[in-house]
Amino acid sequence: MALDYRKCAEEIYSHLGGRDNIVQAAHCATRLRLVLADNSKIDKKALENVDGVKGLFESNGQIQLIIGTGTVNKVYEEFLAVTGMTAATKDDVKNAAAAQQPVWKRALKSVGDVFVPILPAIVASGLMMGVVEALGKAIPNFASTDWYAFLDMVANTAFAFLPVIVAVSAARVFGGNIFLGAVIGLMMVHTGLLNGWNVANEDAINAFFGVKDGVIPTWNLFGNFKIGDYVVGSISRHGYQGHVIPVMISVWLMCKIEKWLHKKVPEMIDLFVVPITTVFLTGLATFVVIGPIFATLETYVLKGAEWLVQFPPGAFIMGGLYPITVVMGLHHMYNVIEAGMLSVEGGLNTWMPIATAANFAQFGACLAVGIKCKQAKLKTVAVPSALSASLGITEPAIFGVNFRFMKPFVCAMIGGACGALFGAISGIGAKAYGVTGIPGYLTIDKPGLYTVLLLIAGGVAFGLTWFIWKEEMPEPTAEEIQKQEAAENANAADSESAITGEPKIYAPIKGNAISYTDIPDATFASGVLGTGIGIEPAEGVVYAPYDGEISSVTDTKHAVGITGPNDMELLIHVGVDTVNMQGDGFEIFVKEGQKVKKGDKLITFDIDKIKAAGYSPTTAVLLTNSDDFENFKVVKTGNVSVGDLFAEV
Amino acid sequence: MKSFDYVITDEVGIHARPAGLLAKTVKALGANVTVAKGDKTASATSLMKLMGMGIKKGDTITVSVEGDDEENAAAEIEKFFKENL
Repeated sequence: MALDYRKCAEEIYSHLGGRDNIVQAAHCATRLRLVLADNSKIDKKALENVDGVKGLFESNGQIQLIIGTGTVNKVYEEFLAVTGMTAATKDDVKNAAAAQQPVWKRALKSVGDVFVPILPAIVASGLMMGVVEALGKAIPNFASTDWYAFLDMVANTAFAFLPVIVAVSAARVFGGNIFLGAVIGLMMVHTGLLNGWNVANEDAINAFFGVKDGVIPTWNLFGNFKIGDYVVGSISRHGYQGHVIPVMISVWLMCKIEKWLHKKVPEMIDLFVVPITTVFLTGLATFVVIGPIFATLETYVLKGAEWLVQFPPGAFIMGGLYPITVVMGLHHMYNVIEAGMLSVEGGLNTWMPIATAANFAQFGACLAVGIKCKQAKLKTVAVPSALSASLGITEPAIFGVNFRFMKPFVCAMIGGACGALFGAISGIGAKAYGVTGIPGYLTIDKPGLYTVLLLIAGGVAFGLTWFIWKEEMPEPTAEEIQKQEAAENANAADSESAITGEPKIYAPIKGNAISYTDIPDATFASGVLGTGIGIEPAEGVVYAPYDGEISSVTDTKHAVGITGPNDMELLIHVGVDTVNMQGDGFEIFVKEGQKVKKGDKLITFDIDKIKAAGYSPTTAVLLTNSDDFENFKVVKTGNVSVGDLFAEV
Repeated sequence: MKSFDYVITDEVGIHARPAGLLAKTVKALGANVTVAKGDKTASATSLMKLMGMGIKKGDTITVSVEGDDEENAAAEIEKFFKENL
């Protein structure tokens, strides 16, 4: 392609809304990636028509122009010369694009980024913890067995040390040393500190510190220096078990300190100075500033909650706000309220229905996401997280699913509020504390009304989420971008490239259908190329299995790829090792990018010739992206005629 | 991004089987890998595109690796090509 790089770069530049509008530019293998101050100032139509630009799309705040391998770097150089810009790395471009998003959005994204990798640990533990605790309550004898003690330990490890897991993940996300991150996390749950769940438990405090007044002793780093009532540098000697946000803030700060020090400290003494200074400063900031802020907030939340739940409208508000306090890690002292309610003669724990409504609403919202979503990966997270939430352990559902997408979280807040209101009006309560959700049946006084409460909270959250939340596909991966490029290249004139139709696959060849695992070839049988069937052909003709587009044909005419409804990619590979026949005995009737209708003739082949050459004519019909289709199933094997339905997704 | 050139020595080039193995290798590494020949490119995990490129013996391809541990991933993939293609 004799492209005038200079001219191409100049034309691109002329449609970008002026030099001031261009923040950064970089390129990858095929695309020119631009970050602009205002994406609306560009002339997209004109850009797409520039000679050399094969396509344009917007992704993550960037404008990406598809130019092509081997050309994009030359256009890029000219582009820099034309604009007088300096080269930016791709990371710079990504960062600049991320910086365009509002702060709360970035913060939310960080929470998601930190939580997604640790989900396997907490989803499993949450579910197990819920089951073990419920069994312990339901079968009193079980709670005193060795098995219970052991299972309880296994189940709650991830939660007991959650700050450590969060810290490691956060250090990775924020670009710090993950081992220093682990140190910060460990410090926050240090065994020398009172367990964070016991900060309001006077007996535990007395036992732990050997005091009698039930007050947590402090370390006063700067003596008794006071500003008002506040003792500067005073550290309350308790840990941050179950906290999430303070840990993330601490580790974020740690990463800032570490990076700053790496820049300032001479390399020779770097290893000696940087880690120790980082850990010390972060530890100090955590216990003197970040921790106390959250502890103070927690006290206010507690007081507010106690006051609110006295009347039904307050319960409504509390049921809605409850999950926010969980997210902030301000929910540790609620059992004080419960204990207070129960300590009165004949007292009823009316807090528990509110907490249950809030938690069960998270279950409803998370379940709606789990059922509605198409991505297999999200489903496998959302469904067990929902189950765990129904048993009262909501962290996986909140952090792993609902809070990440925000809308389900808001829907759950509304569901929780409605459920809590019903709980307060009906006046139900529990005779103990410690469990919510389904295990709550063991302590509730009126199981019938409790069922209604669960249905309201879970149902409202589920229904709202179902209708309001829409699945956003993740940022396009390289593969999807490739597909997009392919589509744009293949039909530049034909902008409508989506294929619609029923996601069903019909037999392309007459013959005997067998499981793909029985194809006489280790690679096909292993499923590496996808799952599907093999057909021992009775007739040497391949017909289109559905309406679609030919995505690839091989020069040797023995295989064809066809993209169909829902982006199904089916590979029809005639015979085993027939690539070696170099097309002899094969005839192909379609070319790449061609649209076909179900039943169109694609390939003819000579069965006898294949057999004579010493190969098996068994034809692999495989869905190469079967990983993406959880529900893909073969519905017919044995003798098939062309056009028989054999698989659905 | 890390990239290297490779000349295909396998008699029949990148057809279904090696494409499948390559995709599997790349998925296991968790990196973004693209294969380019001339002005055609394909993601190494996209079987259809890869096969459609019709890469044969003697063709020079450019393999680009993008990801967390590019050095290591690129070395692994280069090794794969030498052993299989």
